[in-house]
Amino acid sequence: MSTSLEGYASSRRLPGDLAMWFFILAELSLFAILIIAFGVTQVLRYEQFSASRQLLDTSTGLALTLSLLTSGLFAALALQQVRQTRQRRGALLLLAALLSASVYVWLKLSEYAHLAGQGLGLEHNTFFTLYWLLTGFHFLHVLLGVVILGWMAERCRRRAYTPGSHSGLESGVLYWHMVDLVWVLLFPLVYVLN
Amino acid sequence: MSASAVLLCCWLGLALLSVATVLLGNAGATLLLAGGVLLAALGKAWLIADGFMELRHAPRLWRGLLLAWPLSMALATAAGVLLVQIGR
Repeated sequence: MSTSLEGYASSRRLPGDLAMWFFILAELSLFAILIIAFGVTQVLRYEQFSASRQLLDTSTGLALTLSLLTSGLFAALALQQVRQTRQRRGALLLLAALLSASVYVWLKLSEYAHLAGQGLGLEHNTFFTLYWLLTGFHFLHVLLGVVILGWMAERCRRRAYTPGSHSGLESGVLYWHMVDLVWVLLFPLVYVLN
Repeated sequence: MSASAVLLCCWLGLALLSVATVLLGNAGATLLLAGGVLLAALGKAWLIADGFMELRHAPRLWRGLLLAWPLSMALATAAGVLLVQIGR
């Protein structure tokens, strides 16, 4: 069901597929439950949370944020290129988004390995249980996003998307921006706020 | 301004707000600084929703629904920070 058809809502237009928007709302609701659980537990055990947060590297958190946001920029620029019938540039930009997302994956895996090596695993304390659950759930979304970006880059290279028919590309890019959106709330909550 | 230039401006804003988040977080643990961190997060969420996701041109209901999410998460977090401060 595409909402990108003309006449849908005069000048106001919802990009992508309507089903993707319902999916995004469902995903955001799930993340809301996890974020509220983290926040409530922080109130109950703020000393433990404050001490445990010191064990996380904020600069790594910043690098993770910048890599995701840069990937989001490349994906959004790719969409603009396809709308201007520049599919080849669009495919290259999607590959750049994929590369930037891979930096996130590499950084996150390094951080996970570092924490696990220090014995700060899922069962270390309540903070780290919630840290692993929250960031792990987000990480799974990133991995799915990487697959989607790769798939879209290949389809774009084959010129499967045209200015008149690119709802699938819009939906995939929207999913990727949702991953960004969740992270910009997770980053201060998990790494920064004391 | 072209659509690509708008996207680049959004990214620049997002990067600056991310750096500001870390600087505010490292500056201390006061209510004011926590408020600044949450405001920066809200600013970033708005740039992603209206800039990257193109919701500034979308029907108001969907824009409102999506912007309500970061707002409610930031308010819930702010309430938690406030409760911690009162508890101390």
